[in-house]
Amino acid sequence: MCKPNPISRKTFLKVGLALAAAPLLRYVPAYGAPAEVSEVAPGVFVHQGRYEVQSPDNRGDISNASFVVGSEAVAVIDTSGSAAMGQDLRDAIRSVTNKPIRYVINTHMHPDHVLGNAAFKQDQPTFVGHYKLARALGTRREGYLTSNKQMLGDAAFAGSEIILPTLAIKEPTTIDLGDRTLLLEPQATAHTDNDLIVTDTKTDTLFLGDLLFSVHVPTLDGSIKGWLALLDEMGKRKAARVVPGHGPKTMELPQALEPEQRYLATIAADVRRQIVEGKTLAEATKTAGFSEKDAWKLFDQYHVRNVTAAFAELEWE
Amino acid sequence: MPHFFRSLTQGCGTAALVISTLVLSAPGAYAEEAMWPILKEMTFGDRPIQEEDGMVVLETPSKVEDAAIVPLTVRVPPSVQGKLKSLTLFIDKNPDPKVATLTFGPAAGTGGERSFSTRVRVDNFSHVRAILETEDGSLHMTTKFLAAAGGCAAMQAKDPDADTADMGKLIVRNFPPALESSPIWAAQVMIKHPNHNGMQLDINTAKFIPPRFVKEMTVTRDGELVFQLDGTFSISTNPNFRFTFGKGEENNLDVEIVDTDGAVFKNQSQPKGS
Repeated sequence: MCKPNPISRKTFLKVGLALAAAPLLRYVPAYGAPAEVSEVAPGVFVHQGRYEVQSPDNRGDISNASFVVGSEAVAVIDTSGSAAMGQDLRDAIRSVTNKPIRYVINTHMHPDHVLGNAAFKQDQPTFVGHYKLARALGTRREGYLTSNKQMLGDAAFAGSEIILPTLAIKEPTTIDLGDRTLLLEPQATAHTDNDLIVTDTKTDTLFLGDLLFSVHVPTLDGSIKGWLALLDEMGKRKAARVVPGHGPKTMELPQALEPEQRYLATIAADVRRQIVEGKTLAEATKTAGFSEKDAWKLFDQYHVRNVTAAFAELEWE
Repeated sequence: MPHFFRSLTQGCGTAALVISTLVLSAPGAYAEEAMWPILKEMTFGDRPIQEEDGMVVLETPSKVEDAAIVPLTVRVPPSVQGKLKSLTLFIDKNPDPKVATLTFGPAAGTGGERSFSTRVRVDNFSHVRAILETEDGSLHMTTKFLAAAGGCAAMQAKDPDADTADMGKLIVRNFPPALESSPIWAAQVMIKHPNHNGMQLDINTAKFIPPRFVKEMTVTRDGELVFQLDGTFSISTNPNFRFTFGKGEENNLDVEIVDTDGAVFKNQSQPKGS
């Protein structure tokens, strides 16, 4: 009679250990792995960030970052929220092309879009931004570095720097990547006072930066009136696809703008009404815009701050 | 805290000299408990202060969303009789812990709930204190804790160019109560002013933008003093004040604001009823 081969004790223990350890592997950040990117149009690559606030676990991977490959050079559009993430983005670029990274463009000042810049210093690129970006980053530098170091922790933050742009965009400007031009257009105050949009003319892809939020609640750090006016204008544009600062890798105009327009218009209407009624800032922050609560991720983290900013602006009307 | 030391050289008052003494003698984190006795000594000498006796109430947000613009309201319940002499606000751990002092006049009003609201910057998790001086000269204090930080160093204006263009715009608004015969009315004063605290870096000059803030505000009703406010840069950008005053004949409010550069801003509320 044959006795079936027993599983050896050693094998049993190995397998058991592997099974027990498997859940832990989810929490080990994939250091050194290239960022996951999708080619959304020929030569246009987008990395989608998580819908989270900064943490040691996500290393600031909370915004979208993209790059465009021309016949001679590469341009990066936003670099994510830490030098470590910037490095992963750079690795993703290098896994696709060896062409020199000549331009690092930041759509605006927020640290989750610019702290990865340091990973590109080695390429000696031209750092590009809205003509008000240098001032905006210069005045916020200490605060951004301190708060992000605290949120990310020393390991995930290591190497992150604020790098000021050297090419300031004051009017629509084109840059040439070789058989491919990018159109850079600085905007009047909206999400921030230094928003810059980028169009890849070859594929008619429009990078809106944080002028467009989807899923992730919009964050107001400029002018609510300016942003609503700008969105009206953007809605009249045509583009093959738009890339938001937070949200799915590509979206379509004008539908992509509608939830955000509704969110901002609701806050503006609620706040204006309360101002007319003589309500205070403290009172308005308790109710204004709360009908939008279930429509957005991270609402609890950012909404009241948005209402505060909107109130402080609209009370001057 | 490098910005802290820079603020000392930019004229933020005797409180800063006191703080510098403390910091230099005890480098590193100074106990917050050490602040209040010094501030009290400097401001009120050895006068006794009743605490949490219900004469004055402080409202603060349960969660601070933006440390550069934290709304505060001080309320004096209707049960408190008689005129009020003064109100002093402190935020212990701010570079200038004194937020404001209000000295009340005959038009401040009696006979109802009196209140004063403004918006402040909070630098580092700290107690905020309101000390009320009543007609008999006694002092009453209430305290709350503000869990927020970075409000002093943070960039203040979201659209600095637009704010600069509008600087000095002063709006005075009257809020007649539902019952016009009510002895206590409310009003709001707001001014477009950066209220620079000297802690923002100008990258073009590589220097700090010098402090420039609302130093004095005088509010009169029909020519009688409601209060004079002495302010500091602990008050947020675009200072905003909401307060009660005693009902008068016409209820015309006149406001005059002087900042640390000596610039004077004036305006008045619209005639009765607006």
